[in-house]
Amino acid sequence: MNVSEERLEALKEIVNIGSGNAASSLSSMLQTRIEMTVPKVWLVPLNRLSDALGRLDEPKVVLFLKVEGGAPGKAMFVLDENSAGIIVRKLLRQPDNVDILKDEMAHSALKELGNVMVSSFVTALATFSGITLQISVPALGIDMIGAMIDAVLIEGGRVDDNVLILNTKLSASEASEEYEGMFLFIPEEGALDKLLGVFGI
Amino acid sequence: MNNTIIVGMADYKVGKTPAKLMTVGLGSCIGVCIYDLQSQIGGLAHIMLPSSSENSGGKETKYADTCLELMLSDLYKLGARAGRLKAKMAGGAQMFSFAGKASLLKIGERNTQAVEQELQKAGIPLIASDVGGTYGRTICFDLATGELFIKTINQGEKVI
Repeated sequence: MNVSEERLEALKEIVNIGSGNAASSLSSMLQTRIEMTVPKVWLVPLNRLSDALGRLDEPKVVLFLKVEGGAPGKAMFVLDENSAGIIVRKLLRQPDNVDILKDEMAHSALKELGNVMVSSFVTALATFSGITLQISVPALGIDMIGAMIDAVLIEGGRVDDNVLILNTKLSASEASEEYEGMFLFIPEEGALDKLLGVFGI
Repeated sequence: MNNTIIVGMADYKVGKTPAKLMTVGLGSCIGVCIYDLQSQIGGLAHIMLPSSSENSGGKETKYADTCLELMLSDLYKLGARAGRLKAKMAGGAQMFSFAGKASLLKIGERNTQAVEQELQKAGIPLIASDVGGTYGRTICFDLATGELFIKTINQGEKVI
């Protein structure tokens, strides 16, 4: 995949709108203020994914949803275990620590969060582009980030030599605790033409 | 001195003792080591997809068939001997499952079968493997001993 500078800039803007919408649903679910960075865009060869994602053996909590329709891609929300724990406690309104690995209530709360965030992301994209988009049911993984990314990348049975990743950091800081997550969008090659075509780029 | 050579996704590396070959965070991908213990030469490939022919091309090192072919020819150039080669592999997990759609995601299993087939075709005995499951693996291959160290986050460590 080759993408011109101009197209990457436009894509960043699109993802900025989508992530902003995802961040505001996160904010209303958690009833707190969420800070969001502007999206970073990476076009990296497969063997250098750690440039974009950091250490690939870091344990992370990942929510993964497929974006289907006119401009397909993959959306992920990546959290460290501590942040995921705080978010689950807030969602379930429960003061005690939760075993993120085993607790099924925690798993459904996280999946619901992924669902709401990616829905908001996709709704924003669909609204201004006029492209019809659907999302899959959410999948949850708790493991090494690299292992989950490889499964996400080859999920459809094919993978580009260079991966285009757009990521936005979302964070909250409350009186006693801070937590953060990374929202990732990996558009499929054909999706770019569709999304950017709206702007005539 | 750090002799560990890191192998990225869709890539392979070959080396000689005292080098160790490592790949980090295997999910549905497969890490395959092919080595000649007597001459202390070996390689590690991080394979992403089963076959180059059913796909739309691109980098040859993504696919089981073309990647192993390239790695074997590099191993011979380094001095490995065909009759002495052995193989070990790990990975091929299923990291995610979508309710009701599990069958679409069995790419890990297909990768495992493809690598087994390619090794058989090349006449290289697969002497140990740790594949499947629902968890990621980081692997490190010691060319001096032929041991493959496997680390996971919640399933402990092992050596095959």
